[in-house]
Amino acid sequence: MMNRFIRRIQRFKGWIGAAAALCIFYGLYLGLLDSPPDYYQGEVVRIMYVHVPLAHTALLAYGTLFVGSLWYLWKRDVLVDNMCHAAAGITAAFTILALITGAIWAKPTWNTWWTWDPKLVSFAVLLLIASGYLMLRTFVEDPDKEGRYAAVMAIVGGIDLPIIYFSAEWWRTLHQPLSISMRGVSMSGDILLPLAIMSLGLNLLFIYMLMIRTQMLYLTNLLEAKKGRLLSHAHLSHTSS
Amino acid sequence: MPFFRVIQWVVWKDLISELRSRETLSSMLFFALIVILVFSFSFAMDQDAAQQLIAGIIWVSFVFTGIIGLGKSFSAELQNDAIEYLQMSPAPKGAIYLGKMIGNLLFMLVVEIMLFPLFVLFFNLDIVEEIGLLLLIFFLATLGLSAVGTLFSALTVQIRAREVMLPVLLLPLAVPVMIAAVEATRGALEGQPLVIYSQWIELLTIFDIIFTVVSFWLFDLILDS
Amino acid sequence: MAIQAFQLTKSFGNYLIFEDLSFEIPKGECFALFGSNGAGKTTLLRVLATLVRPTSGRFSILDHDGLTEKEPVRQAIMFLAHGSHLYDDLNAQENLRFAMAMRGQHPSSKELKLCLDQVNLGAFAEMKTRNFSAGMKRRLALAKVILAQPQVLLLDEPYNALDEGGVEVTNHIIRDMTKRAGIVVMTTHDREKATQVAHRTGLLHQGILTFSSTDNSTAHAIF
Repeated sequence: MMNRFIRRIQRFKGWIGAAAALCIFYGLYLGLLDSPPDYYQGEVVRIMYVHVPLAHTALLAYGTLFVGSLWYLWKRDVLVDNMCHAAAGITAAFTILALITGAIWAKPTWNTWWTWDPKLVSFAVLLLIASGYLMLRTFVEDPDKEGRYAAVMAIVGGIDLPIIYFSAEWWRTLHQPLSISMRGVSMSGDILLPLAIMSLGLNLLFIYMLMIRTQMLYLTNLLEAKKGRLLSHAHLSHTSS
Repeated sequence: MPFFRVIQWVVWKDLISELRSRETLSSMLFFALIVILVFSFSFAMDQDAAQQLIAGIIWVSFVFTGIIGLGKSFSAELQNDAIEYLQMSPAPKGAIYLGKMIGNLLFMLVVEIMLFPLFVLFFNLDIVEEIGLLLLIFFLATLGLSAVGTLFSALTVQIRAREVMLPVLLLPLAVPVMIAAVEATRGALEGQPLVIYSQWIELLTIFDIIFTVVSFWLFDLILDS
Repeated sequence: MAIQAFQLTKSFGNYLIFEDLSFEIPKGECFALFGSNGAGKTTLLRVLATLVRPTSGRFSILDHDGLTEKEPVRQAIMFLAHGSHLYDDLNAQENLRFAMAMRGQHPSSKELKLCLDQVNLGAFAEMKTRNFSAGMKRRLALAKVILAQPQVLLLDEPYNALDEGGVEVTNHIIRDMTKRAGIVVMTTHDREKATQVAHRTGLLHQGILTFSSTDNSTAHAIF
């Protein structure tokens, strides 16, 4: 009865987790200790090696949710629905972390915790969409509808995100013409290598978390179904006596 | 089954019901009046600040009023389980969506047109030259809201905590509409040349097209399996 | 065979309602389904009415697959559920017009009046259904059946809230349908009233469906 993907996950997840840990530790070493401080920003720039990969991984997680939702609506595979559910939670977590590290980075460089930068606006809305998705899933009473409604929400949100980004970008250029920008940071090899390794590490971490969470949701459902089957037979024989 | 006849009948049904009960329009209107009063009290001391923020104030009241109307739209279908009849009727679900969407659009527009003179009155606006453009902006932004809103009204009406979940799901998605509507309205009210804010009108049009198509396509999954 | 079900299974989340139900209902038959509360009778009707997707298994109605060919199935069936499917702010006539329009039918005012008379609601044609009693709402639902002339009629507890006259109208409609080679499937607790019209009855118990025929079945066989 157990899905073969779940078995395969069981075999591979340890390796992926180990690879993720290796990349993250090496990336942190390169970014926090080995790389030179920035000419303008000094040591502060080091938070970038955490912030930017976090933000990219949050987008990867939402992308997974978006594609998974389309796939679920097409194939109606429960495992895919579980994967979407897992991806949504991880999206929310990575988005919060990206927003927090972003605020910490913004304070010394832009001298403010928060500004109406298009990226910030988009990530704030992304957080609202991902948490709305998770709330929606808990509020659907009919289990048949849960996966479907959630997928609809994820798809509409995914189509909306680029529009939100562009409208926020136009909006910003209108109100505060490019006085603050992070384009001052030159992308030399010293910066690129730790960034790439951290990104790889966090992407692997995302895959690792996705596997564990999907597996957990799937097995919980399986267990509940078996329990429910026993219960409903008990219930039926009870009403007959 | 003729697609457009189904749309007509759904709109007809919602309009007749509303003419009889006046439930949706009156609750939207009274809610909006209260919002306007609260805003005008808040800014009573400072007419200049109010003038600066008026576009935002207008759209905050329109959007929240719209959410009241959208929420009512499908709760009417829930009485006597009528939504079940729509689901199992052979009528195309897309036509039912468009019918409900047009009904919501009409209700929201009617309320907006009744409220706008009050904004002009309370906040001392000068609109004579731009009235046509303002109406176009109202129409485009409201169309976008009701396109996504009708989909989410049908969705949230079938789950728990629906009064909360409609705004929770809808408002983040409506961010582009809000930004574009506020900016375009501000441009029109301040009498700026059209070229400066025409991009917002274009954005509204694009949003309308994309989300009418997407919601039309997804509505089947909300109403049917 | 007009309604065929093959290994229908439905579970709500973790709750198994019924499992592996296979049955056939031929044309011209009225089938009454009994069973205790919570046995899954209504769920079975809702599956046949294409309102609920079965967890597994398939069914077909008039040779149209119930999962993949929903539109012709929906054109053929009519389901009178627990809710009356009425809009409280429309009057009886408008409710009928709208309900028929959703099926692609556009009855004339004369037809509407005629069928409202048939269910004894002629005097209330212009009254908002908000003020209708439960029995009157049932009668209005029957008027829909008379107008729509579906080939398959699914009835969930049709005798609830009806007076004697209403029961008579219901049974008249059922007999009329089976004479036209239509199919009627109903769930009910009222064995007495149901056995007056049903050709076959079934008992849904512990997820198992057992059949037995009634006195009407001989008449049915001759017909």
